[in-house]
Amino acid sequence: MIDRLLVAGTRRSLTLCAIGAVLGLLIAGFGLFTARGTRMAGMPPEDVAIVNQVPILRSDFNQQLRSLDDVSPSEATPAQKRKVLDDMIREELYIQRGVELGLTTDDTETRAALLTATESLVAQNALASVPTDAELHDFYKAHPDRYATIGMMALKALVPASRAAEDAAGAVAALKRGAPLAEVSRRFHLVSTGKVDDGIEFYFAARIHLGDAAFAVARRMQTGDVAGPVAGPDGPVVLIMKDNRRPVPQPYEVAKSRVSDDLISAKMAQLTKANDRFLRKRAEVRIAADFK
Amino acid sequence: MRAIRMTMVSVVVVLAVLAGIGWAFHKSHARSALLLADIDHVSAYPALAASARARGRRIFLDQCAACHGAAARGDRSAGVPDLTDRDFLYGQGRASEIEQIVLHGIRSGDSKGWRLAVMPAYGTARPSATEPLKPLSPAAINNIIQYLRKRAGLPHEAASAALGGPVFSGSGGCWDCHGPEGYGDSAIGAPNLVDRIWLYGDGSPAWVFRSISEGRHGRCPAFVRRLDPVSIRQVAIYVASLVTGGKS
Repeated sequence: MIDRLLVAGTRRSLTLCAIGAVLGLLIAGFGLFTARGTRMAGMPPEDVAIVNQVPILRSDFNQQLRSLDDVSPSEATPAQKRKVLDDMIREELYIQRGVELGLTTDDTETRAALLTATESLVAQNALASVPTDAELHDFYKAHPDRYATIGMMALKALVPASRAAEDAAGAVAALKRGAPLAEVSRRFHLVSTGKVDDGIEFYFAARIHLGDAAFAVARRMQTGDVAGPVAGPDGPVVLIMKDNRRPVPQPYEVAKSRVSDDLISAKMAQLTKANDRFLRKRAEVRIAADFK
Repeated sequence: MRAIRMTMVSVVVVLAVLAGIGWAFHKSHARSALLLADIDHVSAYPALAASARARGRRIFLDQCAACHGAAARGDRSAGVPDLTDRDFLYGQGRASEIEQIVLHGIRSGDSKGWRLAVMPAYGTARPSATEPLKPLSPAAINNIIQYLRKRAGLPHEAASAALGGPVFSGSGGCWDCHGPEGYGDSAIGAPNLVDRIWLYGDGSPAWVFRSISEGRHGRCPAFVRRLDPVSIRQVAIYVASLVTGGKS
């Protein structure tokens, strides 16, 4: 009796072990052959072909089909699909052959493209990040000068025909006393430099037209102010400000899109810098004695 | 008695494992079916489309809503497009085009993403980093704005608009991206400027002045390395399904 029970128990244990082993194998096999990134068995549905273990993505194939023939996969004829796929396989084969031949080391254009692609890849984490509102606010507060309207001004820049500093100074004094411009112009023979006669212009353009010294004076002037004379290539310049619209800080809500761009750019620069350091640290770089 | 209980437990365990495997196979099959389907015609398979939309909505709320908003209406103060209005900056609004944007982004650093055009900053000394464009004066920018308002059928200053036309179609180089009529070009993401739909702000002269003088270059991240192909397809199908109103 006891023997029979022992035999039955052993048989049941073995059966359960066998079932467990089979199930374990099934689960392991399923996991092994269907895990994301597994390219060992069959064709993953996201790929249209695998060339020497390199997948050609279905999304790329569909995009290529749309670009070349303006059709979706279900509208394309078998011939169209075959042509696009053949071309993509050919491209992949040639790229792989190019790598074998060392084009990544030898070919200038390949190297330039690879450099750009790698830099972009490094920056992708920053580009893919969505800054939080708090991060944006902090960045905005830390760089108040960046988020302002573009300054504009309209002014007259006049020089005495004599190019004499005393005449220019006399004209400035007369204008400051309130003498009419026409009268002062007649008296001191003031003529326009001709460089800022086009009406209102952006600060950067005014700086170019006036020169750094005169622009530095002009940007501090209020509308209606007279200043000078400022020495310049055209002689001593008399400045009469007609309209000075200084950069006005933009509220956060208005500047938000630029803040976001700038923050992402800053993150990209940071990532690139860190990557430069990392690559240099792990690389063995030997430098010729005369360059050390 | 004990033997029967053991057998029952074993049967339950076996059934549970088999059910798990069946569920995994079903999920894998549904995943394949979605990836193998033509995304532009996925509505031909209502069950597949409905399940993709439901899952896509969850992904959208998790990944996209931070910028586009939970209702996908965007944010015009930040130049984030409304995804529900039938106004498509890139492409024609096909699910396959949306899928490409989700995959590779816009100015995302991904070489397959959209990145052909950038709005130059005409109020700066060097408006474009890549094109030899000249800056515009504030007066010229105002003239262009009046010209665009005229073309859009909005109140405008006629004399200023007359001066703006030649700048738009000539020296300003605006026509190169936005087209000679200002209708834009969805192949490069250049917006229609005369349809009264604005990506940035409310279309007032002040907002348009900022766009022209400061430039624009909105971004959308690439999700190709963040989401799996099925999730990307699901979110694209969901976004394509949101288009309800606005212009046709």
